[in-house]
Amino acid sequence: MSNRETLDVDVLIVGGGPAGMSAALRLAQLHKQKGGEPLTIAVLEKAREVGAHMLSGAVLDPSALAELVPDFKAKGAPLATEVHHDRVYFLTRTGKLRFPIVPPPLSNHGNYIISLNRFVKWLGGLVEAEGVDIFTGFPAVEVLYDGERVVGVRTGDRGVGKHGERKSTFEPGVDIRAKVTILTDGVRGNVTKSVVRRLALDAGRLPQLYAIGIKELWEIPADRIPAGTVMHTMGYPLRQEEFGGAFIYVMPNGLVSIGFVSGLDYRDPMFDPHIVFQHFKQHPFVASLLENGQLVRYGAKALPEGGWHAIPRVHADGVLIAGDAGGFLNSIRLKGIHLAMRTGMLAAESAFDAVRAGDASAGRLKSYPAAIDRSDVRRELYPVRNVHQSFSYGLMSGLAYSALSLITGGWWYRDPMPAHAGYERMAKLDEYYPSGPPDPDSPIRPVKIDRQLTFDKLTNVHYSGTRHPEDQPSHLIVHDAEVCGTRCRIEYGNPCTRFCPANVYEIVDTGDGTGRKRLQINASNCVHCKTCDIMDPYQLIDWVPPEGEGGPQYEGM
Amino acid sequence: MILVVGEQRDGRLNRATWEAVAAAQQLGDSLKIALAGSKADGAAAEIAAADAAEVIVLEAAALAEYTSDGYILAVAAVVEQEKPASIVFPHTYQTRDFAPALAARLGRALVTDVTAIKKSGDSTVYVRPVFQGKLNADVEALGPPPHLFTIQIGAFRADAAKRGASAAPIRKVNVAVDASAIRQKPEAPFQEAKQAVDLSQAERIVSVGRGIKGQEHLKIAEELAKALGAELAASRPICDAGWLPMDRQIGSSGQTVAPKLYVALGISGAIQHLVGMKGSRTIVAINKDPEAPMFEIADYGIVGDLFEVVPAIIGELNK
Amino acid sequence: MKIAVCIKQVVTREWQLRVNDAKTWIRDQDASFELNEPDAYALEEALRLKEKHTGEVVVVSAGPARAAQVIREALARGADRAIHIEAEALATADAVTVVDAIASAIRDEQFDLVLTGLQSDDQGFGQVGVVLAEKLGMPHATIIMEVQASPSAGPGQGSLRVKRELEGGWFQWISMPMPALLTIQSGINQLRYATLKGIMAAKKKEIRKVAPSASTEPNARILGVHFPEKSKQTQMISGSPADAAKELVKRLREEARVI
Repeated sequence: MSNRETLDVDVLIVGGGPAGMSAALRLAQLHKQKGGEPLTIAVLEKAREVGAHMLSGAVLDPSALAELVPDFKAKGAPLATEVHHDRVYFLTRTGKLRFPIVPPPLSNHGNYIISLNRFVKWLGGLVEAEGVDIFTGFPAVEVLYDGERVVGVRTGDRGVGKHGERKSTFEPGVDIRAKVTILTDGVRGNVTKSVVRRLALDAGRLPQLYAIGIKELWEIPADRIPAGTVMHTMGYPLRQEEFGGAFIYVMPNGLVSIGFVSGLDYRDPMFDPHIVFQHFKQHPFVASLLENGQLVRYGAKALPEGGWHAIPRVHADGVLIAGDAGGFLNSIRLKGIHLAMRTGMLAAESAFDAVRAGDASAGRLKSYPAAIDRSDVRRELYPVRNVHQSFSYGLMSGLAYSALSLITGGWWYRDPMPAHAGYERMAKLDEYYPSGPPDPDSPIRPVKIDRQLTFDKLTNVHYSGTRHPEDQPSHLIVHDAEVCGTRCRIEYGNPCTRFCPANVYEIVDTGDGTGRKRLQINASNCVHCKTCDIMDPYQLIDWVPPEGEGGPQYEGM
Repeated sequence: MILVVGEQRDGRLNRATWEAVAAAQQLGDSLKIALAGSKADGAAAEIAAADAAEVIVLEAAALAEYTSDGYILAVAAVVEQEKPASIVFPHTYQTRDFAPALAARLGRALVTDVTAIKKSGDSTVYVRPVFQGKLNADVEALGPPPHLFTIQIGAFRADAAKRGASAAPIRKVNVAVDASAIRQKPEAPFQEAKQAVDLSQAERIVSVGRGIKGQEHLKIAEELAKALGAELAASRPICDAGWLPMDRQIGSSGQTVAPKLYVALGISGAIQHLVGMKGSRTIVAINKDPEAPMFEIADYGIVGDLFEVVPAIIGELNK
Repeated sequence: MKIAVCIKQVVTREWQLRVNDAKTWIRDQDASFELNEPDAYALEEALRLKEKHTGEVVVVSAGPARAAQVIREALARGADRAIHIEAEALATADAVTVVDAIASAIRDEQFDLVLTGLQSDDQGFGQVGVVLAEKLGMPHATIIMEVQASPSAGPGQGSLRVKRELEGGWFQWISMPMPALLTIQSGINQLRYATLKGIMAAKKKEIRKVAPSASTEPNARILGVHFPEKSKQTQMISGSPADAAKELVKRLREEARVI
């Protein structure tokens, strides 16, 4: 039985995405600039390789990058193309209406289309060149406390079998102790979730709101549409009451990022974001764009959409929260990477100061939220603080309020605009379908799957490259699976079988002849999007990291 | 003249030798077959039925047991004597153990695991699997002849090997293999009950999917497997449900197989399953759903209720 | 014991393969890579032998720059140092070219034992190990499932007893003197995880970069790759279950000849 490894560092960064990498790089820069004692920094990343779990549209606002790495072009930043054409459409079932002017928040002049996976890999290279250790394959599963002070994290055990037994290769998780821990574990990050809960960091804040983004990477004939074209759509296939829309970003050599974002606050329990995406692809405009093309990759991830008022307190004794983990995303601009980078950099600055001062108390670390308040982050997020919430009144109301907010700086007579957690908005079957509940096992708006343009979830999952060693406990903790075959089936018709984009959840016959159903969890299909943790109407599902290295392989995403 | 290096143990001819003969005969030249090892006479007599110029039995005390050192010396000697234009082996575990070193000793090219040979004029292209059978590669052997190649077991049909009008003459050759030059000391081979089922060795597989509907219905698949002399396997959901053990699972999270016959009962054909069995030579799909992706890669398909079709098949097989 | 382990970086097993435009190989510019699975088992076996008998484990890889990934992983798991014979062309080179590169890089080191995986998951020719043994003048055994080593005081005086896998559930023990080369079968042991300390220590370990030997005559060339074509169209057999069954059995007997 191996002893538990321990490691002591000055700053620990949990999560190797754009926020975490920017924090690491910033720390290294500060150390170079200001000299002094050597600064030990560690980055923990659950994926097998840097960038493997990174997925985003994405269009990058380069402002934060230009500050972090002024010579980013010379250093070979993988920016696929500058944005040249910006278009916004409203779709009907067969037609499209183009907005004559691109609404200013959606204007991407000066921005770049990128692959977040490649971008983070590149950032990771810069971080490693500074001598920072990036530990891939090490998810943080538990927070270490000294009283109420965060003193580090414990990583997951490895070599545990399906039934919890220790295998011959068993290695207990590592305890990493740090003076300052920066949490950048992404949207609905498991570590941030537990810290926020334990330290009540969300007291007095609005509940976080989320959306799910499902994305595919396609190769189409290179001359079909110019590289640098950015298109956003709203309307079909979503209905008035549903929030979301699509994005199509065209990169050089016929590579196209296409995806659909659906708010995780829909009312219809039969809503299936994956089917919505297939319907979208079948729209004549989209189908003609993808004709004779080939699917290259598939993935999905949640997005934090609650805006300024949903961001929790981002500092406490020994800990800071940055990036998507804190909810720093501008949902009206559909951009969060630059905010992740910016908050990562600011967190690094506060952490550096705290380490040098020998004081990582909340009082000292308060410099971080104060810096955020003085920065572009607040300037950008504050005016749009009620935007997502306004869409809970319908598409038209949302558009109207958003337009208004551009002039009024987000004013509303009730500020914050009230909001409920998305899963609370899901109606029960008998409420939403008063004339009789539909069959929960059949899609409410079926779509023809041809495996050329449209795909079933299982085939799609194959293209995410996701893999997990089979012999390990399920990482989807369902606290009361009895509910699935009984209460949930009647009340909501098992929505997990629909909102999961990876076919993790299935309702099958118990096989005991009674016709009763039970939940089957295909954990190894999981793409780590966190939707189940977010959207389960009973909030019974806890997503915890599977054994390190497991998950998708989002090359090019 | 093409030299076929056959394989036998204790007088029992490895069937793959016939397959190597069939492959060699495709090249159109005359052929000779070489065998080594103790008690080779019985095997030699059997293979002599092939349409071949002669069977050469390599004799030496040092060749009684297979060793790579010994066989390299022996076959090299025969090659030196006979000067074949090509040398063909069956791709057995034994061949994999010595053929590459033999080729290196001779300074000649070796292409392994060949599934087809494309000859046009003077050039020969060998087709062989890469990426675990997901793709095929066309390979050219370079350098002077003889080129060596090993043929994938089952890729060439043993029964396609032409028999000779009369038995080929058997010639015993005493090869000078110096026992002191042999560095390996083998002990007797033995059989071990394997913990896990190795489906990759099975020639025929009957595989079940969701369409089997319940553990109690596995019997019908077991009976079909028995009638076909096949191993039982399953797609993922069956093993997840615990109806069959995990080592029977075929697919991306289970085993990859390429048997001669793969019968898929009630398997829809999700891509995760297909990648584990696409390389099967003959695929039979029986499914209620005419749109099941399995039909796309099947050689034979029956749309129907497997609980009716399978008993009928068993009946036919037992006739 | 001084042990060399030859490792190869290959595209991950689940990778959706696409053929490049020239149809000469797969498109791997944006692929995901990993350590060839049998090589991982060979490395683990070497580490276990070192733990049992003390000594040194050196990993050797002949491949492009990106192969540094698997070298680092091997060092993180516990290999002591590495030799990287670096050249882009080595990614798709034939066995003779690869063996020449490795042999010239390690010949002078006088290893007691050289381990390789039995074959690579990409090309899968299964030749490098055996040809390397021949070039180094070492006895070899392939598809090994168990290794018992008796190293002795002086270099080149130990011996091995190894269990090789044969067809159909048969095995065989054979003995031979060291230095020797073994090709290792997957599943011979359980792979250990790289620890945090191992990952940090790996950064300080030596990776000797070597250029491949000048000109080797390749002995084979891959002209092209393609997806296997289905030789037949799917034959749908209709009719009543009884009729369909009869027809199917007939075709399996007479046409496909599989029963």
